[in-house]
Amino acid sequence: MSEFKRQHPVAAVTRAIDLIRDNLITVIIILIFGAGGGGPSFLWMFAGLFVFLLIAGAAGWWRFVYRVEDGELQIRQGILVRKRFYMTRDRIQVIDVTSGIIQRIFGLVKVEIKTAGSTSREASLSAVSRAEADVLTDLLRKTPGSSRSPEKAASADDAEAARFTLPLKDLLIAASTSGSFGIALSIIATVFSQIEPLLDESEVYNWFLAVMPGETDTLFIVSVLLLFVVFAWLMSFFGTLFRFGDFNLTLHEDEIVIRRGIFEKKRITVPFNRIQAVRIVEGVLRQPFGYGTVYVESAGYGDQKGSGSVVLFPLIKQRELDAFLQRILPEYRCNLQAVKPPPRAVSRYIIRSAAVFALVLAGIHWLLGGGTFIWFLLIPGFFWGWLRFRDSAAGVDKERIVIRGRILARTTAVVRRNRAQDITGSSSWIQRIRGLANIDVSVASGDQGRKFQIRELDSRDAQMLLPWLEKDFRAGGGGERIPATDACLPGWGFSR
Amino acid sequence: MYSAERIKKEPSKRITPRAIRAWQWSAAAGNLVYFIVPVGYWSAFGADSSSGIAILLILAAAVLILWILGITLLPYLRWKKWRYSIDENEIDLKRGILIVRRTLIPLRRVQHVDTRQGPVLRYYNLATVTISTAATTHEIPALDAETADKVRDVISKYARLAEEDV
Repeated sequence: MSEFKRQHPVAAVTRAIDLIRDNLITVIIILIFGAGGGGPSFLWMFAGLFVFLLIAGAAGWWRFVYRVEDGELQIRQGILVRKRFYMTRDRIQVIDVTSGIIQRIFGLVKVEIKTAGSTSREASLSAVSRAEADVLTDLLRKTPGSSRSPEKAASADDAEAARFTLPLKDLLIAASTSGSFGIALSIIATVFSQIEPLLDESEVYNWFLAVMPGETDTLFIVSVLLLFVVFAWLMSFFGTLFRFGDFNLTLHEDEIVIRRGIFEKKRITVPFNRIQAVRIVEGVLRQPFGYGTVYVESAGYGDQKGSGSVVLFPLIKQRELDAFLQRILPEYRCNLQAVKPPPRAVSRYIIRSAAVFALVLAGIHWLLGGGTFIWFLLIPGFFWGWLRFRDSAAGVDKERIVIRGRILARTTAVVRRNRAQDITGSSSWIQRIRGLANIDVSVASGDQGRKFQIRELDSRDAQMLLPWLEKDFRAGGGGERIPATDACLPGWGFSR
Repeated sequence: MYSAERIKKEPSKRITPRAIRAWQWSAAAGNLVYFIVPVGYWSAFGADSSSGIAILLILAAAVLILWILGITLLPYLRWKKWRYSIDENEIDLKRGILIVRRTLIPLRRVQHVDTRQGPVLRYYNLATVTISTAATTHEIPALDAETADKVRDVISKYARLAEEDV
């Protein structure tokens, strides 16, 4: 393959869609403000934007050419600024072939090519035929027969490579407890703001108003809110269903391959040596039923662009977690004695959480009015603070640190010592008076990295934790162990 | 239970006192930005009513106090609180006036280290050392330029020597 080639013309459409996705906020703002003006000018503007995007997509497709020459992928692209992108075969670590809805309609695939290294570069061909993709992977693969060659991986697949799937029942549970209400709500609100002016004059709306008794204003608001919530729930239900349907995870010699998605097929490859941390998130709706989601933080191989978080397994019973880690990432399996914030820290947790609530309530009070009774809603704020206090814990041994905390969902992070980038202890002026301190640990993840923090530890405990990253750190040696509570981390039936 | 030697020794090195003068100048110039607040208030709401004048005076006084603090007390305290030390295994930084932070960076994690100088620092022959890991970036501000070069070289030497424990 030595001639420069173009992708399939469908790439123009996928590119236009990518443009919309990248500028979603701008588009939403235009939609919201545009609707206020109303009338045909807005429609024209909208149509103009759409045509512009299509033209931009087509031009982008026209200018995008690629070839493979001497085991080097060469891409030339750019409409105004021309870019040349070269990537040699030796540096390529991962080739992922996926297909979105549009690609599937035309029987095409998307090829993503990623390099090794902490600042992973990535090239992607958004629409090529399957045969073309095979030729490409063939050309870009390392020396045939090397351990990383897909053929061998594929044959290992057949020969009983460890494979994990998500049973239908678990998928349904995952979908119904997925808490992505917030996103769904905001989408619905946007759509509603578009439809509302139309509804306003329609007969349905008048009929609805006529049926509703005039006095029950609160009832009306409550029922509308309820309707929103039900809609949001349905959206997050189907969103999760489509996203994680057909989930399977296979273990290979030096990488984990995750395939998932019903309409949009995704394949995510995570090399073991890029994994920086494991994170178990127990959502508010899941924790009561004993379920959680397992994420890995990886350097440069995220689910989405720029992020390093990958859903390793969408739904798992707490009791099965230990066995799961044992089979997939045994070095992240541990059972440590927990250090917890001392009881005197509880007031600080509660005040901080209640303050957030108070701010939100003040905002609502100011915008919507409402009686003083809304200040009773501060009580959940206190409760939230207490929960955050109760769930904060940390544990260390020579190899890893486990930090548990809660924002809304309870999150337990396991970081191995040879993956932690730094450790920081900090204390504010008031904390020093009260003998408290925070500890946080950074790991590389995606573009920025990620921080795991535990707040309000006894400052002596914090000082014992701080040397964890020192070369000759030994936890629990002699009488010098970090004073731990009788609680265990992660504490998911490890000993049972 | 808490044996003293388990707790890591405080880092020992200070940064040069000349940093104070450099920080004073850059704060004197940089913090002028804050005066936008009272000026903005004045141009938006005017100073007609007595309450408007009061608010304006309070804003102006607050900004002025901040500005004065920024060129008097704060640079001195910042200098006084800064400590660092570097050995063949870790970089240890301690700093902060109200919130005190202590950070440990294993040298095995250092990806690159460089020195940089703004115009003020260059005038005082000072330089800042920037240490980057795969996740975070840390600074040792306003070292003597020769010291900064030495620190940078030492860190990069140690970082090369430190064996990867992956």
